[in-house]
Amino acid sequence: MLRMRSFLPPLLFTLAYAGVSLGVTNSYYQLILTLVPVWAVFGLSWNLLSGYTGLISFGHAAFFGIGAYATALGQIYFNISPWLLIPIAAMLGGIAGLLIGFPTFRLQGHYFALAMLAYPLAILYVFEWLGFQEVTLPIKRDAPIAYMQFADPHIYTLLGLAIMLATIVLTQVIERSRFGIALLAIKQNEAAAEAAGINTLAWKLRAIMLSGAIAAAIGGFYAQVLLVVTPQSVFGMLVSAQALTVAMFGGVGTVWGPVIGSVILIPLAEILHAEAGARIPGIQGVIFGLAIVCVILLAPEGLFWKLRDLLRKRTASKATVSDATETAAAANVTALKPAARQGAATGQVVLEVRNLSRSFGGLKAVQDVSFRLHKNEILGIIGPNGAGKTTLFNLLNGFLKPSQGEVLIDGRDMSGQRPHVICEAGVGRTFQVMRPFLRMSILDNVVVGAYVRARSDEEARKMAADAVVRVGLSAVADRIAGELSTKELRLMELARAIAGRPRILLLDETLAGLGHSEADEVVAVIQQLARDGMTIAIIEHTMQAMVRLVDSFLVLDHGAVITEGLPEVVTRDSRVIEAYLGKKWVGHVAN
Amino acid sequence: MTAKGKTGISRRALLAGASGTLIASRAGLGQQPAEVKVGLLVPISGLYARPGTVMREGAEMAVDHINAQGGIKALGGAKLKLVVLDSGDTTEKAKNAAQRMVAQETDLVAASGAYLSSFTLAVTEVTERANLPMLTLSYSDLITERGFKYVFQTAATAGSQARQALPQLIKLAETASGKRPKTVAILTDNTGASIASAKAMREGLLAENQLQLIVDETFTPPLADATSLVQKIRSAKPDLLFFLPTVISDAKLLLEKMNEFGLGQGKVPTISFGIAIAEPDMLQTVSPELLQGVLTCVASWGAKGHETLIAELKTRYKEPWMTQNAISTYGDMWVIKDALEKAGKADRVAVGEALRTMDGGPSKYYPLGEIKFDEKGRRVGAGMTIVQWQSGVPVTVFPPELALAKPFWPKS
Repeated sequence: MLRMRSFLPPLLFTLAYAGVSLGVTNSYYQLILTLVPVWAVFGLSWNLLSGYTGLISFGHAAFFGIGAYATALGQIYFNISPWLLIPIAAMLGGIAGLLIGFPTFRLQGHYFALAMLAYPLAILYVFEWLGFQEVTLPIKRDAPIAYMQFADPHIYTLLGLAIMLATIVLTQVIERSRFGIALLAIKQNEAAAEAAGINTLAWKLRAIMLSGAIAAAIGGFYAQVLLVVTPQSVFGMLVSAQALTVAMFGGVGTVWGPVIGSVILIPLAEILHAEAGARIPGIQGVIFGLAIVCVILLAPEGLFWKLRDLLRKRTASKATVSDATETAAAANVTALKPAARQGAATGQVVLEVRNLSRSFGGLKAVQDVSFRLHKNEILGIIGPNGAGKTTLFNLLNGFLKPSQGEVLIDGRDMSGQRPHVICEAGVGRTFQVMRPFLRMSILDNVVVGAYVRARSDEEARKMAADAVVRVGLSAVADRIAGELSTKELRLMELARAIAGRPRILLLDETLAGLGHSEADEVVAVIQQLARDGMTIAIIEHTMQAMVRLVDSFLVLDHGAVITEGLPEVVTRDSRVIEAYLGKKWVGHVAN
Repeated sequence: MTAKGKTGISRRALLAGASGTLIASRAGLGQQPAEVKVGLLVPISGLYARPGTVMREGAEMAVDHINAQGGIKALGGAKLKLVVLDSGDTTEKAKNAAQRMVAQETDLVAASGAYLSSFTLAVTEVTERANLPMLTLSYSDLITERGFKYVFQTAATAGSQARQALPQLIKLAETASGKRPKTVAILTDNTGASIASAKAMREGLLAENQLQLIVDETFTPPLADATSLVQKIRSAKPDLLFFLPTVISDAKLLLEKMNEFGLGQGKVPTISFGIAIAEPDMLQTVSPELLQGVLTCVASWGAKGHETLIAELKTRYKEPWMTQNAISTYGDMWVIKDALEKAGKADRVAVGEALRTMDGGPSKYYPLGEIKFDEKGRRVGAGMTIVQWQSGVPVTVFPPELALAKPFWPKS
């Protein structure tokens, strides 16, 4: 029911738009009304890839153009109806997405954006070379409707609207599903997403295929509206830019962004062209550009987010009273006496590391490290800065491939596997630097981690809710992450890591940046997790907290193990003191 | 938002309409309108603003001349009024402008435009459906191959231009240098118009004229370096070089490199197609010495009989010479005027019918042929013009009846 209700706004919007369109008799305004959904859909297709994954594509014209040319050439050479050609174009766009995505997803950030820029420009020259500089759609006077050639321009608008509605609904479905969550996770931190069990390459490929298919379909429809296809008009830089412009103006990463952008910008550009341009030729471009610059300066993430933040601020100021409950949030976690955990480290071995080494050029970041992690144990990994602790974690969860040695999980060698595979095998982790999804609620943040085990969206939400309870955040579960304190964010990250029910948890400086009493609360949660059967390895600097938390220590320096053993033994070891504090302290401590 | 825009504009249109009728009734001519509106849909902003502006200058001059000579006599001396619309710099903008033209300028009787043939193709899709006669200088064959009734192509089509040009060029070379050229090189960029001309030559025209193609290079503008292209020319030593650039910087780069290699200033006779190499902007980057002797084949050009027009264009608009864009659009207005006289009423369907059936005798402003259109809408007997750079000005050297100067051929 909830899901149905969310489809109501786009449906109402579409109906209202259709109503306006039917009331307009001027064919010029009708054409503009047709172009608005066209560019909105193109923006949505861009948004599906770039808005949600954060991988900016400067080359969406590649798909748009492929669709346009497929629709035009299919009619000219094979006499196929565009009703059939537009779905075919969508298929070709999907295939193009796969072919483009597979090599290009090796790149990230600016490199990805620039590589994407190259595709439409390259294809543009191919089409020029093939001799398709100007292609016009043949007029079908005998069967106009079968060839999507309507005398009544309203029908084009209605068709464009139908495609837009379908794209909006599709985007909304994706937004709320595992698909959308995976894409958002990739946007925030691709590495963390992998670590949370998301096969990032597979999801990115799905996203670019779907995005390419939508872009190609609307490109085909555009050809049908424009009736003339030239390489510049469908593969040109301006076409790719149009997708970015409408999406960024309206709001990136939301279904409404490209729609808002298109509804405002397309008619605005035309009105400026017709009105201002008639007086001073060219001034329309200047005004249009300035308008975009101003909006981007005032609302850097787009109009939608600006308006939403304003609305949220207004409602939030009314509801400050409810904050009182927050302080009690973690109170249900009781501290555990360290003594109670003595002897836990004798059970079955769940993780074994054998002679693990990794070097970066001449630097041996991790050398010949071996240790065992027993079921239900809490192992503290300590060592001075640069000792190789985080590198060791990265080797354990698959971010890095070991140069030598092996990592056995439940006796199976998993070294060199992709992070999401290791996550599926039951290893969760948190990060030194927190990566919360600031605009999402705590529960939604945690759901990301649940999908590795969950089969359905409902199951994932249940598991996430469960994890939120376990870390003691259930009272604030619906708040957005941007409003949380550092401690709550740390707990939320912890919840995300345990939502997928891992058996082994790797915690990277989970107590960093917390005050004394806050650290105690988090420590209590971790202890509770161990008591519930989880095996934990934790990297930490705060010795005081660690001594109370862990069952045994593993001490690293210069990438190698110096010593391991019970906390009270390790903290008195002269090699440890030397590594941490320098030689001259060894004597002091011994006394 | 759109609805608001709509009422705003339609109110203005209403006002314009009202003032129009006001003028009409004050003129006291009964049913005849005092003003007949003619459209001009050309790029006056963006990348192609310069040629579009020249087209507007040509049209303005023609409208002034027609009105000064008493307007449309069949309509009681009604004056022509030019309505200029900006086609912008993309096909989409051009199509939008065309839709605006037919939706909001409902009393247009005919129009001219839209410079680039891809724009013209999109624009005529709209004007055809609105029964608005459209005259065009664009010479893509495609424009008049769609079975449209309201599009009239005043220039020879691209295919036909190359066909006409080659024999003339050979004749020119023969008379000037005393020997018939045998070998040719083609250097062309990969834009639409260039490809069309080069294709026609490769696929038969060269063979028909007993010319052997010894160098055939296609490049993508803009060129970064022309050295390798020029080296190929130097080692092959063709009798003629067909050089088809669209971007001025490419023309500059190649001509300078030719000069550097001792092939310039006509040592290898260089022939182009299209207006790019004869645009006034050329002189801003290329010295007149380098251009000396370079020939280009264009649809139309300021020629013999247009001397007073050329002079007026120079003084009124500070244009250095009259390109095809100015003279051809000037001619379009006169053709529309003639059609109005024939139709006897300010009605677009009647004007279209008049254009289809008109027989206006020999053409004054377009090269050769008649003011008469065949069933496709192509001007009957449409010729073309060969222009040569002579002392910093591209002048018409062919056909002889239109030539303003004698062509010269380097005697090496």
